Amino acid sequence: MKTMMRWTLAPLAVMALAACGAEDKAGEAKAVAAPSNRTITATLKDDRSFGVLERVLDNAALGDVLAGKGPYTVFAPSDAAFTASAGDLGDEAMKAQGAAMLRAHIVPGALTRADIVAAMERGGSGTAEMRTMANSLLTFSKEGDAIIVTGDNGARARLSGDETLASNGVVQPVDALLVRPAAS
Amino acid sequence: MYRLVPITSALVLALAAPTAVLADPGNGKGGDRQDRGQRGGEARDAGPAHAGGHGGQDHPGGERGNGRADRPPEDPGKGRDRARERGPDRAGTVRVPDLVRADRGDRGDGRRDASSDLRREAARQVFQTRDGRPVVYFSRDDDRGLIAGCPPGLAKKDNGCLPPGQARQIARAAEAARYDWLWRRGGDDDRRYEYRDGYLLQMNPQGSLLGWLPVLGGALAPGAAWPAQYQYQPAPDYYSSYFGLPSGRDYRYADGALYGVDPQTQTISQIAALLTGQTPAVGQPLPAGYDIYNVPYQYRDQYADGPDAMYRYNDGYVYQADPKTQLVTAVIQLLT
Repeated sequence: MKTMMRWTLAPLAVMALAACGAEDKAGEAKAVAAPSNRTITATLKDDRSFGVLERVLDNAALGDVLAGKGPYTVFAPSDAAFTASAGDLGDEAMKAQGAAMLRAHIVPGALTRADIVAAMERGGSGTAEMRTMANSLLTFSKEGDAIIVTGDNGARARLSGDETLASNGVVQPVDALLVRPAAS
Repeated sequence: MYRLVPITSALVLALAAPTAVLADPGNGKGGDRQDRGQRGGEARDAGPAHAGGHGGQDHPGGERGNGRADRPPEDPGKGRDRARERGPDRAGTVRVPDLVRADRGDRGDGRRDASSDLRREAARQVFQTRDGRPVVYFSRDDDRGLIAGCPPGLAKKDNGCLPPGQARQIARAAEAARYDWLWRRGGDDDRRYEYRDGYLLQMNPQGSLLGWLPVLGGALAPGAAWPAQYQYQPAPDYYSSYFGLPSGRDYRYADGALYGVDPQTQTISQIAALLTGQTPAVGQPLPAGYDIYNVPYQYRDQYADGPDAMYRYNDGYVYQADPKTQLVTAVIQLLT
């Protein structure tokens, strides 16, 4: 399903990016590909690479939020991002920790990759900041062609895979957690 | 146009409840606090109730505006006085305090504790647009007062508040504690924070308990009873309309989340929305962290960044700002 969506959206994304280039600089982030009719929660459940995240989401009872109106953008850690050092955030005893972790991966509104790139290019420093639902800041920067996102405590991740435009926001896969536990 | 005008009857009502609370400090009981929350809710809802009537407006994004506050939020008392002085054509902002202090009184568990010191400050800002539609902001203050004493279910021990059967929980707590920094607030290095059994505990460097708060996913989770001592801000109708929340529940805002609560049992039935709680007023600069264009898809044609205006979404509103000064020039409701 996810793969099909990617192929369906790919031409639209190319068209959208081409359209962006034709617009004036201030308005470059306006056009987006057509979003799917699936919510963020449904999108995460559909994609097998987010199995752990889905479990954490269920455990923290935040599934309704990401199935609701929003919009939100979720920086979605893949299963591989949940390393052993992160502990089991899907455990019943870790609900609050899981909720706090999730809030640090969610920002208000719909952020496409084109929006992020445009903001980095617009700012003189080549970086852009976004506030999370945990009241922390995510900082975006470029390393070569990759977009790097850095959390408040220095946790770094790379935007990976393809973004998915859900009906109520955007899923941006990342290859690492944007928070990290203190050393035990 | 979104020209802001000062005090209306709704705002007067909103001011009335906190005034009553301020006039009678020190008599706080669990039930009283809930009552205060309800009174505040009636006042707050009195304004946003108008908003629901605009759901069928021709322009779903609401009108654009360029109203600008004359000054930033002020001292509450000054705000009230000045608001009364302003004529209907002047724009202004009013910071509404809702300060509850109970230095003594019965605790929720029935025990009387002279050391109990409950201090709450929940600030919100209310704007009234010229066409009668209010904009209500929730606050999310990092230094919001904690509740004194041990939270429900934890017993006071020499070294803080500990749950029964603590030994078997030590191993799990050690792992959970590695995320305690996630709840650190206000950048105060003289405090440390621990999560325990649904509650955030604030300690001084010597380990003495300074206060507690329930947290999302802990004591504030579906199925849990709303903590009797925990004050909330009732959600205005605009949020119910915007987020499409089902009726039959109370909706309460606390610490960045909107909760659905069964009005009969006081049990949390749903976490309905996450909010940043950090929304700028007209005339104030956009806060840090809104560099990236994030307007919902369906409003991008209407609210596209340009040389004269930039737009950012947050908590159900679109904020129009001047790209050069970064000052907010209008707050736009997105009722559909």
